[in-house]
Amino acid sequence: MVSKTEETQLNRLENQVDNGGGGAWEYLCLVRKLKVRRSEKVLKHGLSILNDPKKRSALGPEEWTLYEQVAIAAMDCQCLDVAKDCIKVLQKKFPESKRVGRLNGMLLEAKGSWAEAEKAYSSLLEDNSLDQIIHKRRIAMAKAQGNISEAIELLNKYLEIFMADHEAWREQAELYVSLQMYKQAAFCYEELILSQPTVPLYHLAYADVLYTLGGLENLQTAKKYYASTIDLTGGKNTRALFGICLCISAIAQVSKGRNKEDKESPELQSLAATALEKDYKQRAANKLGLLTCSLRSLKN
Amino acid sequence: MAADLKYEISQNAYIKLVLHALKHNTTAVNGILLGRVNPQNENVVEIIDSVHLFHSNLALLPPLEIALIMIEEHYGSQGLGIVGYFHANERFDDVELGIVAKNISDHICRYFPQAAVLLLDNKKLEAVPKGKCQSPVMQGLT
Repeated sequence: MVSKTEETQLNRLENQVDNGGGGAWEYLCLVRKLKVRRSEKVLKHGLSILNDPKKRSALGPEEWTLYEQVAIAAMDCQCLDVAKDCIKVLQKKFPESKRVGRLNGMLLEAKGSWAEAEKAYSSLLEDNSLDQIIHKRRIAMAKAQGNISEAIELLNKYLEIFMADHEAWREQAELYVSLQMYKQAAFCYEELILSQPTVPLYHLAYADVLYTLGGLENLQTAKKYYASTIDLTGGKNTRALFGICLCISAIAQVSKGRNKEDKESPELQSLAATALEKDYKQRAANKLGLLTCSLRSLKN
Repeated sequence: MAADLKYEISQNAYIKLVLHALKHNTTAVNGILLGRVNPQNENVVEIIDSVHLFHSNLALLPPLEIALIMIEEHYGSQGLGIVGYFHANERFDDVELGIVAKNISDHICRYFPQAAVLLLDNKKLEAVPKGKCQSPVMQGLT
């Protein structure tokens, strides 16, 4: 997960490099640090450094890291020849390396030779069964072949060993959501909230999943988690504000036939609506009318 | 279906959807088609505009509900309604309309029975920059 400041910094650097202002190496390091997926840019700027012998030697030992980064970016852009060349260079320099073995496995994946890639990964896992990256590659392969249920199974096994891998829990939740298995997705978000209770993103996603599941209890819990998101973000999260309005309207609909419990304070609805209107006035004043109409149709 | 329905899609609507899919080329994306039935010929549905929706977590309800409410409000005032759904799959060789896309388009069909469902043909999209393919990169399925 990348913060907004980090993303702005990255985009600024990217613009600078794109327009010939230098700083390519800085950009590539930042991409590597933040683990974002900008393969076209990485390929372009990485190659410009690698193909220039002066720039390449200026990197010193970091040269090999760059070769690895460019190889992966090339595979992502389906430039398999570039990837193969980079891997060859790395193989020459580090002949017995597991890291290079991994890259070879990824190249097989990129070519679509799933069985061979699987063989390569299994043999690498025999030597080191706790290699997180290879486990993740196998999950990615299942996903790439469209076998989402197998991906989920493999990911479950991975999570049994590496329970603290938050990104993996998030990926699992998203896989479940894509198959509309919302209960299981909710479980994943619960794990995330338990281990990192102050990250608003998980509260928001959990609320979204609960709302999608539906039912009075889930809607009420969803409302609570939208509220906690608003709390954690200092009231700035538009999605959570909308979520509150949706929950209130849905709860009202579901409990129409039942005894009016009237635990719901009508203030919450108007508070959320006011906050949204303030937000829109600041950031998108011309859409304010649209907002008011939409909120009104929600109330009915 | 009674008579043969024809759909006309405006360049604006088409380009917006394809550009959105291109920008988020590593995830599935979806969008809503807006338009109306041709007032002169009720067998022709004109797709006049489109709104692209999401590029992550397409199967969650709250963002979808809000989006649909606002889209209906905004375009309703222009005399346009929701006439269809656009979907682009995450994987290159996936040519099927998945469960999520089916559910959303079924829902739209309930309100507008002649709704169109457009699925992006990734293989054709790849061929576009090479100038090989001029025909629209979507298949229509109703």
